[in-house]
Amino acid sequence: MRYVVKRLLQAIPIVLAIIILNFLLLQLAEGDAVDVLAGEAGSATPEYMAELRAKFGLDQPLPVQLAVYLKNVVFLDLGYSFRHEMPVSELIFDRLLATVLLMVATITLAVGFGVFLGLVAAMGLNTWRDTAISIFALITYATPLFWVGLMLIVVFSLNLGWFPTSGMENFAMFYEGWDRVKDIAHHLVLPTITLALFYLALYTRLMRASMLEQAGQDYVTTARAKGVTENRIMFVHVLRNALLPVVTMAGVQVGALIGGSVIVESVFAWPGLGMLAFEALFSRDLNLLLGIFFLSALLVVAVNLVVDIVYSSLDPRIEVD
Amino acid sequence: MKFRNLATAALCAIGVAFGPSLAAAQDAGGTFVYIVQPEPPSLASYLSTSGPIGLVAPKIYDGLFDYDNDLNIVPALAEGYEVSDDGKTVTFTLRQGVTWHDGAPFTSADVQFTVMDVLKQVHPRGPNSFREVTSIDTPDDHTAVFNLANPAPYMLRALSGYESPIVPKHLLEGQDLRSADLVNNPVGTGAYKFVEWKKGQYIRLDKNENYWKPGLPHLDRIVGRFIPDASTRTAAMENGEVLYGAYGAIPNIDAVRLREMDGFSVTTDGYSMINPMALIEFNTTIAPFDNPAMRKAISLVVDRDFLIENIWFGYGKPATAALSSNFDATGLYAAGMPNYPASGDVEAAIAVLDDAGIMPDADGVRGSFTLDLIPYGEDWRRAGEYLKQALMPLGLEVELRYEDVPTWIKRIYGDYDFQMNINYFYQLSDPVLGVHRHYGTDQIRPGTAFVNSSRYSNPEIDALLAAGAVEPDADKRSEIYAEIQSILAEDLPVANVFEMEFLTVYNDKLKDHATSALGAYGPFDRVWIEQ
Repeated sequence: MRYVVKRLLQAIPIVLAIIILNFLLLQLAEGDAVDVLAGEAGSATPEYMAELRAKFGLDQPLPVQLAVYLKNVVFLDLGYSFRHEMPVSELIFDRLLATVLLMVATITLAVGFGVFLGLVAAMGLNTWRDTAISIFALITYATPLFWVGLMLIVVFSLNLGWFPTSGMENFAMFYEGWDRVKDIAHHLVLPTITLALFYLALYTRLMRASMLEQAGQDYVTTARAKGVTENRIMFVHVLRNALLPVVTMAGVQVGALIGGSVIVESVFAWPGLGMLAFEALFSRDLNLLLGIFFLSALLVVAVNLVVDIVYSSLDPRIEVD
Repeated sequence: MKFRNLATAALCAIGVAFGPSLAAAQDAGGTFVYIVQPEPPSLASYLSTSGPIGLVAPKIYDGLFDYDNDLNIVPALAEGYEVSDDGKTVTFTLRQGVTWHDGAPFTSADVQFTVMDVLKQVHPRGPNSFREVTSIDTPDDHTAVFNLANPAPYMLRALSGYESPIVPKHLLEGQDLRSADLVNNPVGTGAYKFVEWKKGQYIRLDKNENYWKPGLPHLDRIVGRFIPDASTRTAAMENGEVLYGAYGAIPNIDAVRLREMDGFSVTTDGYSMINPMALIEFNTTIAPFDNPAMRKAISLVVDRDFLIENIWFGYGKPATAALSSNFDATGLYAAGMPNYPASGDVEAAIAVLDDAGIMPDADGVRGSFTLDLIPYGEDWRRAGEYLKQALMPLGLEVELRYEDVPTWIKRIYGDYDFQMNINYFYQLSDPVLGVHRHYGTDQIRPGTAFVNSSRYSNPEIDALLAAGAVEPDADKRSEIYAEIQSILAEDLPVANVFEMEFLTVYNDKLKDHATSALGAYGPFDRVWIEQ
């Protein structure tokens, strides 16, 4: 417990530094939210634009803008998106669920299936199974995501009609209750497979290499000398140790996935945070963008903490204190 | 005094009269899902004319008028109107018994408030459309008298629910117009009521049971879906998940494929009040385009037919003047202007440069400059690549620059840090609304997007534009615009390239969706789905 508190306290200056850095970086972009709004509107008077800038606080000097933002963040107020005319926290929260859904489904599928394939490949080293799995991993890793997504749509939506092409729900029906859950799950399948295929390759390769490395360790020879069965060596001793790098990798990637995969969200019209951030960047909606970055930073810190705790349960030699 | 009671005319014209017999064949109910792309920034059509807002808001807000496909006025919230002989008083007779979606009655006070306190103040084009309106009298609840400083014939073409939505006074008065609750929770008098906006997914509107057009709308619900990826939009259309996509939501390359498939159709109807024009803006204040010969040479060398045929898949018409040929309907378009060859004229272009003394150097180069490209899609990049090639035979070297939207807008309309820019403008339903902003000296407004970025200033043109705006006589007005077009065909601060034809792709199950000149920006009140 003391460890957790200590880690959280350490995180505060890191997160603050991230906010300041993000804020300054985003100032480097040309044009501001008012330019974009005026551009989309067709024409706007200079007075109108000056008025908007004053309202958004964009007429203030940079240090003042930063100070105001930091002050708000301390009170957990992420500010207001003038583009959406909505509080940033509300916008992000709306999208968070979709992102978490896609993220959890993807990581589960990718890690689960990747570990399994890596295990099979390592156990049948240099057999046809190993070769087949390695080739499969290489292909899925090397294929562009948008292409995989579009091909899945062409095959499974247009030709076979098994899944909807896009979106998170059926908007002609607006299901409720369990029907809605089933509907969302139905819509989740293709985006999850697309995104998972990419990460799957990574876990497969990592797991295979990690298994092979562990299998050559002294403790395996010792176990074998003691007469422990091969299956027990594999599944109890080697597997547990081999999982450590996989867990590390998963921890890092959960952080990256929170930003969502812009490509998958775009291809499947999945309403996640990635697209929100992407659009916010192009409309110079800095409050919103900073909010998303802030959330990502918090999540990375939290996930890293969780990973460290998982370590210690996988490998009791690693102590947290 | 000319009094026109539009109600009678419209009853015949738009089929309400024979509505009952048709109604039997029209299937009631159902949900109409269509593509809205990109996701709109808000639903405040009285604050912003951003395209995607137009795809949603006019279903919620009505205008005083709608317009049929021949650009005739169709009564909406105004049943009739009367223009005084001197053109300076316009009296609108408003429909009675209309209620806002929250149940409050619609009255002339709403019209007065909308025009004077909202559109004239904060709408991007409103200050222009209503610039002659000095006050609005409301002698009773269903009469609104517009008092004008000068005649404003174009104003009557700017009264649709898209261009000038009538908004509820009781929900906006005394509030900050830009942060009022109405911005994201619109309450109108239109065929559909706003229900829900799920960011990143859809906007849902349900049938207005108390709509003032009897028996309409047929549909129970309409849903605008946001699908960022163009290929996915096409797939969703093919799969029947969406039934309608306008304003190029389905790219031309896919539209021509869907056109050949059973069950889908493509139309270019529904854009005549928008009048999009692809064009090249020149910075007339710096080299090399401060020299009119350079601008003329570019307009001469562009093979407009080639661009339309190869990049826009045949959808478009070569531009022939400063005004779109669609203005022929109102008599303002002048045909036969020089310097607009449809398929390019390299010899003529070279001759123009030679005559002006712009000679090639030892390497055969007459000049080099940068061409900025509007960052609204791949087609424009290809157009830029084409231009780069097309200018080579003239000895002109072009470098292409493609930036993101805010950077580009700031460069062209804020810093004027450009030489030549490819772009498109909406010419709208009258030159005063859509074309004057290119050429008037008063339209050199640093920091305001989509106005006179060329910084072209010609007192003669200024005088003609001012005269054209207030001339009530149609014939005299034609003469004024003919002169404007002939001056501009020589000066060319802007070289029009082609009249764009946006595509609407739809599922054949969808009926009566193209009954308004505004097309996808129309009210969708008579749309129905064949079951």
